[in-house]
Amino acid sequence: MLSTNIKFGNFTDLLIGLTEKELRTRYKFTVLGFFWIALNPILQMLIIGFVFTFFIRNPIENYYYYLFIGLLVWNFFSLSLTRATQSIVWERTLIKKAAFPKVVIPLSIVLSNLFHLIIAMTIFAIPVSFLGTISFEGIIYIFLAFLLLLTFTIGASLLTSALNVRYRDINFFVQALIMIWFYATPIIYTLSMIPYKFYWLWRLNPMTSILQLLQHGFLNQPLPGIGMFTINLVIIAAVFTLGIIIFNKEGNNFDDWI
Amino acid sequence: MKNNRKKIAVHLSKVTKSYVIHHEKPTLVEKFVRGREETFYAVKNLSLQINAGEKIGLIGPNGSGKTTLLKLIAGITCPTNGTVHTDGKIVSLIDLEAGFHPDLTGEQNIFLNGMILGMKRAEIAKKMDSIIDFADIGRFIDSPLFSYSEGMKLKLGFSVAAHADPDILILDESIYAGDLKFQRKLQKKLDEFFKDNKTILLVTHWLEFVQKNCKRVLVMNGGKIIIDGKPKTTIAKYKQMNKNHK
Repeated sequence: MLSTNIKFGNFTDLLIGLTEKELRTRYKFTVLGFFWIALNPILQMLIIGFVFTFFIRNPIENYYYYLFIGLLVWNFFSLSLTRATQSIVWERTLIKKAAFPKVVIPLSIVLSNLFHLIIAMTIFAIPVSFLGTISFEGIIYIFLAFLLLLTFTIGASLLTSALNVRYRDINFFVQALIMIWFYATPIIYTLSMIPYKFYWLWRLNPMTSILQLLQHGFLNQPLPGIGMFTINLVIIAAVFTLGIIIFNKEGNNFDDWI
Repeated sequence: MKNNRKKIAVHLSKVTKSYVIHHEKPTLVEKFVRGREETFYAVKNLSLQINAGEKIGLIGPNGSGKTTLLKLIAGITCPTNGTVHTDGKIVSLIDLEAGFHPDLTGEQNIFLNGMILGMKRAEIAKKMDSIIDFADIGRFIDSPLFSYSEGMKLKLGFSVAAHADPDILILDESIYAGDLKFQRKLQKKLDEFFKDNKTILLVTHWLEFVQKNCKRVLVMNGGKIIIDGKPKTTIAKYKQMNKNHK
């Protein structure tokens, strides 16, 4: 084990400090700055919403809301993962400075994106509350979805950020994967449009349950089936565990590769 | 003397550090297709004990493994074999760019750098004026770091390191790039550390500096410590060695 100067109190300070840095540098030198958080998914929502309604025979209830929530969550996930994957390589100057728990680097990226997501979600909840689809029970599902989303995103980010130090292909792999993954997740469509015999494909995608839980919580869409939820949960747990193991194993030798 | 029994600050036991020579970063495919890798031993089966309060100069030709040794002690990298034990807070100044972010201002970088070194936010805020004052970078404190000269980065880096209250201070040769005014400050700070019984390990090619400041000198070559002794005799031997090579 590496000896570090960092104790728990300093760890949280460092994590908060790096998260702040991430938020500060993201929109530096931009004119609209913070507004991009909201503007991005709204633009996506309008365009996809306009085009996609031509293809759906049975329209989804409150489709623009449905789309918006999916896009918010997806943007959180894809931005966190793609940025975190490169984070260790980008922050090489920190790695070369001292022994500290390197896990703060990908964590700070996920946290900074979470900050954006929570702000956007809170704003989103205001118009949704007028639809009358949010119940007390629904709020519990929303929290559960957040917990799973965070666990999965952190696990995947640790995994790809650690591997990307040694194998820079991972970065390109993640970028390609994210593109396909978007369409493999019920964001612009609902799972009920998919023939049941293909459900197993969605069971391999943990983002399915996470989105279904949120869509249920906010818009009273159907909950994920028990088979879907169980298999998704197992995959989330597996990715999280694997991420921690790989990150710990690779973390001691980051300096050799950057 | 209150410290009769000497505390061990750094203990390295049979430490080896090997690197895979990569002319290009390996891709996944190459890893499986080629399967053979060239290794390079930066540090070979090295054992070393440093007591608390020792002032050690580390000299040797380029590529002899000095910086790798510093990185191993600082915990920046892990040994391939062997163990490294350290006791106390270590602060290193090896790479001048290290710990800084080019887009953040001087002040924001002081926070970032300080926290990486294990300081708390409140502690840094309290020492902020003193850090800025020592670094002597004036109104540049609010400018992004990419606008700083090398000398300014050095001063800022050293200032934060000095305020991090290290038990063990590790300095690489880049530290001697500062101007005369900074050299005097550096000397003064080192004298302070000297009095406070801090452990200092420094790498330099400036032999007079070593002779003046260190009580023990290590000469490295080929990943090993080849001479370990008093400054005067060790430096003389080292000079002799270099002459013989010519």
